[in-house]
Amino acid sequence: MPETVVDIRRAQPWLGTRVEIVASGGPLRAVEAAIEAAFAAIAGVHHALSAQDDDSELARVNRAALGAPQAVSQAFRDVLACALDVARESGGAFDPALGMLPAAARAVAAGSPAAPRATWRDVRLHGGAVRFARPLALDFDGIAKGYAVDRAIAALVAGGVTAACVNAGGDLRVIGPRDETVHVRTGGAQSVLLPVATIGDAALATSAYGGARRSIGGRFRTPLIEPRNRLPVMSTRTVSIVAPTCMLADALTKVVALRGRRAAATLARLGASATILTPARGTWRCTRIAGAPAATRGAD
Amino acid sequence: MRCAWLLPAGGAILAAPYAQVAHAAEYLSVDAAQRKAFPEATAFEAIVVAADVKAAIAKEAGRFVVEPRIWRVRGGDRTLGWLFVDDVIGKQELITYALALDATGAVRSLEILAYRETHGDAIRLPAWRAQFTGKRVSDPVRLDADIRNVSGATLSCRHVTEGVRRLLLIHERVLAHA
Repeated sequence: MPETVVDIRRAQPWLGTRVEIVASGGPLRAVEAAIEAAFAAIAGVHHALSAQDDDSELARVNRAALGAPQAVSQAFRDVLACALDVARESGGAFDPALGMLPAAARAVAAGSPAAPRATWRDVRLHGGAVRFARPLALDFDGIAKGYAVDRAIAALVAGGVTAACVNAGGDLRVIGPRDETVHVRTGGAQSVLLPVATIGDAALATSAYGGARRSIGGRFRTPLIEPRNRLPVMSTRTVSIVAPTCMLADALTKVVALRGRRAAATLARLGASATILTPARGTWRCTRIAGAPAATRGAD
Repeated sequence: MRCAWLLPAGGAILAAPYAQVAHAAEYLSVDAAQRKAFPEATAFEAIVVAADVKAAIAKEAGRFVVEPRIWRVRGGDRTLGWLFVDDVIGKQELITYALALDATGAVRSLEILAYRETHGDAIRLPAWRAQFTGKRVSDPVRLDADIRNVSGATLSCRHVTEGVRRLLLIHERVLAHA
């Protein structure tokens, strides 16, 4: 008789954070094997899309895509296509083309000072190859973690798992009949933990800005950048997004952090909704975008 | 896609006072981590590393939070590799992890065994940490058990990376010659 398990719970450090996988719905060994495959999928995304690793596919493309089209992997295409979609839908509030230029591209950019700054519109994705029309660097920081979660879910499903939750440092996705309650940890020194949503067959991602800023070389840096003028934005918002995929939820947190209610149309078009928590004199003010509870209920 | 937002929009939300531990999860016991990393092992021999070696490593790579547990993994007469169980402390989290090295010292696997988060400085107190010593999955510490999924400010795993570096130094300086 096959041994059926309730929940297998595992965690590994990936993507600079703790990645947790909870899975069930099959014989113990099969679920364990599916979790192994899911962690391997996350490791693959980590190695391909890391901005810190000079050997990553992302680093290679950033070095060479200004000169000639660069063939890229399916993972790279998936993430870039979604990033460009969100950039278009949000009027550039999310922009994957704001990475730090590699040294070679900095030299080219310095030689053409009259050229306006590059944006996501200067990234060309055609037939499995990427080319840059201006000196720029892609940065998948705000989207790769969500994509890794989606790949892990796909690996679990392929392995026969029927119910699971993958949580990569707060970007998470749930599949199966059971709804999961998600707590949000707000940003800043007065950080609190609040139950924010119950989701099923959906993804939730949060960006928590605690008003953090650092002075580097006399200029303020914050984790949030306004793409229009590339200036740091001081934010105390904690933004949670629910969307059909974790990649989409991850990218949209930045859009809502910058635009607030003005992001409502973007969210509606992409099938997402949001809750914003803002500190207000010892309490937290809650703003909802795109409908009442369960308004996003519908087909996956 | 099913979604029900839980917080009332518009009103002011008063957060409940913190529990001592905000979030905790147990993943694998030490036994299970051993079996998982080295299913072919016939024995795990505990190894003790001299205090002066650890002191020298701590000077260049940071202090050990606990005495790391170390095993030589045997497969019959052969050494299959090495297994470490160690703790690291972040800003507000205590992470217990297991590092497996093969016989050449290359990383074979890295698993998080347990994770505990607290508020304030309780995590720095040996008494707080000691309550988890020797706990395993079958004997969970009852914390806020209903908090299963936390989303929010990303907690860095930088401290795990630093911990792994210290353990690799132990291998390089002692175990590789054992």
